[in-house]
Amino acid sequence: MNFNTDSMKPIYIQISEWLENQILNDSIAEDEKMYSQYQLAEMYNINPATAGKGLTILLNQNILYKKRGLGMFVSPQAKELIFKKRKNETLRRLVLELITEANRLNLSEDELFQLIKSIKKEYEGE
Amino acid sequence: MSIIQCTNLTKDYGNAKALSDLSFTIEENTITGLIGRNGAGKTTLLKTIAGFIKNTSGEISVLGKNPFDCLDVSANTFFADDNMAFPVELTLSELLEEISNFYPNWDVSLAKGLFEYFGLNPKQYHAGLSKGQKSTFNMIVALSSHSALTIFDEPTTGMDASVRKDFYRALLKDYIQYPRTIILSSHLLSEIEDILENILLLKNGTKVLQMPVENLKEMAIGLRGDINSINMLTNGKEIIHTEKINGNHILVVVKNDFTETALQQANVLGVEILQVSADDLCVYLTAKSQGGIDDVFNRAKLI
Repeated sequence: MNFNTDSMKPIYIQISEWLENQILNDSIAEDEKMYSQYQLAEMYNINPATAGKGLTILLNQNILYKKRGLGMFVSPQAKELIFKKRKNETLRRLVLELITEANRLNLSEDELFQLIKSIKKEYEGE
Repeated sequence: MSIIQCTNLTKDYGNAKALSDLSFTIEENTITGLIGRNGAGKTTLLKTIAGFIKNTSGEISVLGKNPFDCLDVSANTFFADDNMAFPVELTLSELLEEISNFYPNWDVSLAKGLFEYFGLNPKQYHAGLSKGQKSTFNMIVALSSHSALTIFDEPTTGMDASVRKDFYRALLKDYIQYPRTIILSSHLLSEIEDILENILLLKNGTKVLQMPVENLKEMAIGLRGDINSINMLTNGKEIIHTEKINGNHILVVVKNDFTETALQQANVLGVEILQVSADDLCVYLTAKSQGGIDDVFNRAKLI
């Protein structure tokens, strides 16, 4: 397997996102054992420390939990946490893009809110 | 635990300083990439660590001892480069047999497996091998020794692309199975960066930086666009590299301590934000002079 090395995203972030996807599509179920950093290192041809960093991100977000001496496992609330996180991230990015474009077009804040409201109305009216 | 410790390490060759006040440590069971341009002091440093040459001043400790003339360090270290001398009257298979006696952790099956995989002829002599085959044989010996400290100085000289790829994969797999300290020097950072944990960058015998590769990749960003917008954005920032593209357009590589909002602002101003590869960043950080190769040609035109 190969990662896109031209991507803006560091490899350990790509690893953590790939693992999240594995959890979302039920390849690894809750309370099941997660890949070890050594398995990931071999799968992706990367240093185990880099793979470990990807696992640590998920551990810190409680998507994974540690069992002493046994490794890392998928939390029961993992899917829910990933959904919530991605919603926040995606929406935030879209809003940022919206603001950038509005500023480029010299749109005032009021005009922007009006636009959102009217489009929302249109959408819900349909 | 640190396996190598250097403090103000200096090596003079006559009037020239190959290493100058170099201080760093390398932790046990890590893979470190030693990067630098020609003449940066990479080989001198590696040979000093391996105990082949004596430092002029400063301190060096490898496995807890000064490596020069030290049997203990020598027994636990493997130094591989393309000048390795082997007895000329022994065939490759006889060489492997003899070499294995020197290394208590020698992995017979790995040596045999790699030897067959790379299609080396057991009845051949080392002197008769091509440049790439010599490098391949040396790599097999270095990996199979399972030495506590394994040093590769430009290990892939002459190897073709597919052998190089196999070599790095073999190195990583064997490292996962038998963790040990490995140092690799190379000009091609892009080729080895994924398997490295840390990077040590040298310039003129001094340390430019030492950090995890992942941190290096996130250290800087490139901004490309109008000169006025870029000057405004990079005001007070640490600029690593500047390149003129054409007219009013420039590319600036700058230390990345921008907030998300600042980058958004850059976007509004029409400035492109680019990722800087670890390879390029190392080239910029070790540039001999301001400007690049283009300036040589621009100057020539003026004359």
